[in-house]
Amino acid sequence: MQQQVKAWLEEGTVDIFLGYKLVQGHPLPHCFTKENIDEVDELIVSQARYSLEKIATKVAAVHPDLKIGLLARDCNQRALNVLSVWNQLNPDNIETISLNCCPSKLKEGGADCSYLAPIQAGPLKKRVGIDNNMDVAAAEEFSQTERINRWMYELTKCLKCYGCRNICPVCFCKECSLEHPDLIATGNLPPEIPIFHLVRAVHMGGRCIDCGLCEDACPADIPLRLLYNKVNQTVTDVFDYQTGTSPEQSPFNMLGEEVTLEPKPL
Amino acid sequence: MTIKRMTFLQELLKFMGLEGRLHLDWISSAEAQKFVQVVTDFTEKIRALGPNPLSNFADLFAVSDLCHAAQDAMSVEGG
Repeated sequence: MQQQVKAWLEEGTVDIFLGYKLVQGHPLPHCFTKENIDEVDELIVSQARYSLEKIATKVAAVHPDLKIGLLARDCNQRALNVLSVWNQLNPDNIETISLNCCPSKLKEGGADCSYLAPIQAGPLKKRVGIDNNMDVAAAEEFSQTERINRWMYELTKCLKCYGCRNICPVCFCKECSLEHPDLIATGNLPPEIPIFHLVRAVHMGGRCIDCGLCEDACPADIPLRLLYNKVNQTVTDVFDYQTGTSPEQSPFNMLGEEVTLEPKPL
Repeated sequence: MTIKRMTFLQELLKFMGLEGRLHLDWISSAEAQKFVQVVTDFTEKIRALGPNPLSNFADLFAVSDLCHAAQDAMSVEGG
C-alpha cells in the first residue's frame, strides 16, 4: 500500500494523499505529500477511522483542481458518492485505495461493517433508554408513551457539543441551522430538546450514509445512528431514494412531481 | 412533494412518540365548510389525545429556560 501511495505521489496521479499516521501512539489523520514522501512509510491502517472525505471536501473547496487520494472503507465510499452528487467533490479528482472494512466482529456476517465494536448498553439504559444496538423495528414496538420517555431520556444527556455534526462526512453546509441565532442559538445550555436532534434528523434524510461516526463521537451515547436509520428508511419508502447509491440529489431538493399518496386520515 | 415531506415528518415524529399531532389536507379558499370540518375534527382528535407528551417534561424545560435566561443575562453583563 505504501508503495502504491508513493508511486501515485511521484507520478502525480495525486497531489496529496489522506491517510493515517501514528503520532505518539495515536493514529491521526495525516496529509501525505510528494515533498515529504518519506513519511509515507509511516502510513498505517488500523481500527481508527475518520471522515477523511470531509477533509478532502475542505481542501477541495480551497484548491478545486488538486488531485486527492485517500484511504476509503465502504462507508467512506458511500460518503464520497453523496459528496460528488452534491457537487462538493469532483470524482475525477479523487483516487481511493479501498480498505477492507473495519476489523469488526460484525464484518463476518457481512451485514454491518461500520462499527469497530458494538456499544453494550447497561441495565439502566436498557430499562429506561434506548439500546444503541436496537434496530428500527424494535424501537417502534414500544408504546407511544414509552417511545417519548425513552427518547427523552437519551436526549436529555446531550451536551450540545456538536460532535455528531462536526464528524459527519456529509455535513458540508456553510450555514448550519443548528448554529443560527433565530433557530438554534449556540452557547445556550441545556440544549433545546428534542428540537436540536429532530432538526438534525430531518437534515440527515437522504444524506446519512450510516457510517456510525456520529454515534462513535457522541460523548453521551445517544443512539443517533438508529434515529438516522429510521429517517433514511422513510426516505426510501416515501421518496424511493437510496442514499449513497442513488445518482441524483436527495428528493428534498425537487419541486413538482406526480404523487399517488393520499393524506393520512384524521 | 408537500405530501411526501409531511409523510416523512409524520413518520419521524411518530418514531419519537409524538404521533397524531400533525395533519395535512388540501382545502381551497372556496371550501369553507370543508375547512370548518377538518379543523373541528382535528381539534377533537387533539383533545382526545390529551396534552402533548412533552408537557410531562415541563420541569425540565422550566429549568432549561432559567439557564438560558441566566446565560443571556451574563453575556449582556460581560460585554
